Amino acid sequence: MSTSRRNVASFVKDTHIRRLLTLMILWMIFMAIFRFDKFYTFLNFQTMAAQFPEFGLMALGVMLCMISGGIDLSVVGVANFTSIACGELLKILAERSGELTGGGILLIMLLGVLIGAFAGIFNGLLVSKIKIPPILATLGSYELFRGIAIIITEGKAVANLPIKYAETIAGKLFGIIPIQLVFFVVVVIILSFLLNRTTYGTKLYMLGTNKTASEFSGHNTDTVLIQTYMLSGICAALGGLIMLANYNSARADYGTVYTLQCVLIAVLGGTSPTGGKGRISGTVLAICVLQMISAGLNRFPQISSFYIPLFWGGALLLVMVWNTITVNGKSGGGFIRNFLAQLNIKTGSGK
Amino acid sequence: MKRTLSLLLVLLMVFSIVACSPSTPDTTEPSTEEPATDPASEPSAEEPEEPAASGDEDWEIVVVPKDASNPWFVRMEVGVNEFAEETGLNVYQRGTPEIDATLQSQLIQDLIAADVDAICVVPVDPGSLEPVLKQAMDAGIVVIAHEGASLQNVHYDIEAFNNEQYGAFIMDNLAEAMGEEGVYTTMVAHVTNASHNEWADGGVKHQKEKYPNMQLLEEEPRVESEDNGDVAYQKAKELFKKYPDLKGIMGTSSFDAPGVARAIQELGLVGKAFTSGTGMPADNAELLKSGIVKSLTLWDPALAGKAMCALAVKVLRGEEITDGVDLGVEGYTNMTFKEGSETVLEGQGWITITADNVDSFGF
Repeated sequence: MSTSRRNVASFVKDTHIRRLLTLMILWMIFMAIFRFDKFYTFLNFQTMAAQFPEFGLMALGVMLCMISGGIDLSVVGVANFTSIACGELLKILAERSGELTGGGILLIMLLGVLIGAFAGIFNGLLVSKIKIPPILATLGSYELFRGIAIIITEGKAVANLPIKYAETIAGKLFGIIPIQLVFFVVVVIILSFLLNRTTYGTKLYMLGTNKTASEFSGHNTDTVLIQTYMLSGICAALGGLIMLANYNSARADYGTVYTLQCVLIAVLGGTSPTGGKGRISGTVLAICVLQMISAGLNRFPQISSFYIPLFWGGALLLVMVWNTITVNGKSGGGFIRNFLAQLNIKTGSGK
Repeated sequence: MKRTLSLLLVLLMVFSIVACSPSTPDTTEPSTEEPATDPASEPSAEEPEEPAASGDEDWEIVVVPKDASNPWFVRMEVGVNEFAEETGLNVYQRGTPEIDATLQSQLIQDLIAADVDAICVVPVDPGSLEPVLKQAMDAGIVVIAHEGASLQNVHYDIEAFNNEQYGAFIMDNLAEAMGEEGVYTTMVAHVTNASHNEWADGGVKHQKEKYPNMQLLEEEPRVESEDNGDVAYQKAKELFKKYPDLKGIMGTSSFDAPGVARAIQELGLVGKAFTSGTGMPADNAELLKSGIVKSLTLWDPALAGKAMCALAVKVLRGEEITDGVDLGVEGYTNMTFKEGSETVLEGQGWITITADNVDSFGF
């Protein structure tokens, strides 16, 4: 258990995590002062726990790809494509057998994961073998998956699904814990095991830090990339399966705002956009902070929702700027001192 | 650590300033459409904390439109705020920044968690809201919908009118423009949108009964505009090029007819092709005056918003809702249940807008 203690220590020492924790505590205090009775209810926390898994899972996938030095912008496309395909299958299954069984649901989930895995492998091949820059490759495949989804559905929603599926996946374990959260936690455990305890994880961090060095160390970087995008695809597919349950319908354009949100989460959680850095705990914390802020903002009718996109976009840029400043400032000590020093240099050279 | 803290504190202070000053959203809100009737009409009346309101009627009623920036719902907010001012109740509108079924569903989940008393919703995609509206009903929240006749999990759904009759009304306008003859087709926001499709069906039915010289375009009897003027325009252009016989398009969403009109103008078909459908007066004044569009049909979203709130209050008060219920809002004074339904209430809120009266609406 000494390793776990060391993990806890490094967890608190990490600047990104410390920052997120501070932000979270401040926000909780803020909510406690202004909307205590509306925010600190069991129901509210239960609702939040059921809301974030769908985009939280996608954000985990984006994080993995960012650690490898790439990005996955196709997560929402994969999620919707999966939920549409599974929705259609659900309808067929329900028609065939009349009643949807637990086995049927399992079969559908398996199919969803497979679709996600294939979509991810496709992305991985584009990035590793054909060497298309990840941002372009996944943007292209996003449009591709969305296009296929629109053609399958003719742009309409896949509705009138058997309610059993939604009741099962969007239900509550022991009447308390949202099932969506269970999925999320399981994936988090699996991913942190993969990242911290397997050679795959070590290879992934190495690849993200320095691809050439990784290649010269004898790693098959292509395989690592394909595995990473496959994992991202599976995460996105699980997100899609949860969306299918949450809305009891599927459509090619559900959750289009999630793409930016996932990137925001990953960056906020301390994943470096240039690769090599990033941890599950940071991402999970970022998801929680984001969910709390967005649910909290909805408690203030005075804050117009016109501000929300501005708020998220601003937050993303602010975090990146902040990261740059603090990273540069680390060697010299205080960040304000450094920042001022930098300003001085700039004004000095200007004269 | 200290600097991090101090920076965050500053951030927090900025936040609390925004959150606590009721006038801020009004001054900075980019709602160009908002009429100048009462500039400080945000829910400032009951701004501080909830329990202060009148007697035991300290309800919190929230109106959730499809999104916050569509002029239609900006207009609805005017009515909602008027209602709040007239009654002194804690009533406000809260929309998502973009039209997105997922966002709307999550907003409603948040409202349930915040334990509001009534939710009035204009669904983006009715099917996707069923699970969350069921949660709301289970939590004892009054759920009133508008333009969501297909919804199961609602107390009541308000329609400004009988959908079939309104469809017939649009058709009368279109037929008049087309000289009661020629090929036409119908346009809806999404083929999943219940109301739009019922209007279109009603229009087609009315045409078959009353205008035998008109024909529905068989190849594409119903097209989607996705509630977007540009899509409506593109679609119309495509249709007019593909089917040279096409003489008219019946629009339903408030973006349809204006979008189609743009296509008619651009293709030089003014006087040869026609459109009619729902449209906002101020946005379409030019189109009507130039004669590209002869008439548009409408109901006032502000009144619909008011009617939803009024019905929510009635349900919260425990009043019985029967045929002929009077919501005290113009056009909604004699609401009747739709045939075979116990939830859908229909009023008589339709109006025609022509070049002559377009400026008289004030929005």
